[in-house]
Amino acid sequence: MTEHDDRKIRDALKQSFPPVNTELRRDLCPDILRKFDARQVGVPWYDWALVGLSAVMFLAFPRLVLVFAYHL
Amino acid sequence: MDLLQRFTHGEIDAFETLVRQFQGDIYAWIVRIVRDPGVAEDLTVETLWRVYRARHRFRPDGNFGAWARRIATNLAIDHLRRNRPEQSFPTEPAGVPQPDPLVQRETRERIQQAFRRLPAKLQVAATLALVEELPYEEIANSLGTSVGAVKLRVFRAVRILRKRLSQAGITPD
Repeated sequence: MTEHDDRKIRDALKQSFPPVNTELRRDLCPDILRKFDARQVGVPWYDWALVGLSAVMFLAFPRLVLVFAYHL
Repeated sequence: MDLLQRFTHGEIDAFETLVRQFQGDIYAWIVRIVRDPGVAEDLTVETLWRVYRARHRFRPDGNFGAWARRIATNLAIDHLRRNRPEQSFPTEPAGVPQPDPLVQRETRERIQQAFRRLPAKLQVAATLALVEELPYEEIANSLGTSVGAVKLRVFRAVRILRKRLSQAGITPD
């Protein structure tokens, strides 16, 4: 590989990718806060897993309800 | 308590202040890499969301901008990786002269296409170093690596690109 070939590739790249406008066109704060709210409201998967597991346990061993109620 | 400390404690007001302060810088960084304003906006939102989620890992005496930029870079690399074109272009006999502007435009498009097929990490290093002409040290900091590693990635990117263009019969002027 020659330095000349390298230079040609570098120049070709520069020409092939026109400059981009790096100015942000709008405030992204509302989008971020909306995403924030949406994720905060959602129940995490492990909570659902816990609910499911509890339901299965109560169906399999109904007496556990009493133990559970005692600890509430 | 200062702004960054409040942020690490999860205060939304502090986070919002940081978003307003840094969203422009983060967007500018991402758009230089992905070169698509719409995608860059989405990735900026995702970056700032991840910044908030990772707030416990941030030390209040650290550089918030540099930390956020590293998260942004990783997201941009993931994006390039996911959207890497699979197909290569057909090969043509080498050494065809290209005086026609239309042919030159086509050549540019094919160079872009070949460039986008590079591994994401090489692509990012080469974009920032060769297209954006940013200092190697700044690139290294944002990629969380050394200047030597960045130079190596750029070298490898140029070498692979040159080989692929040569195979496709494209000779840049």
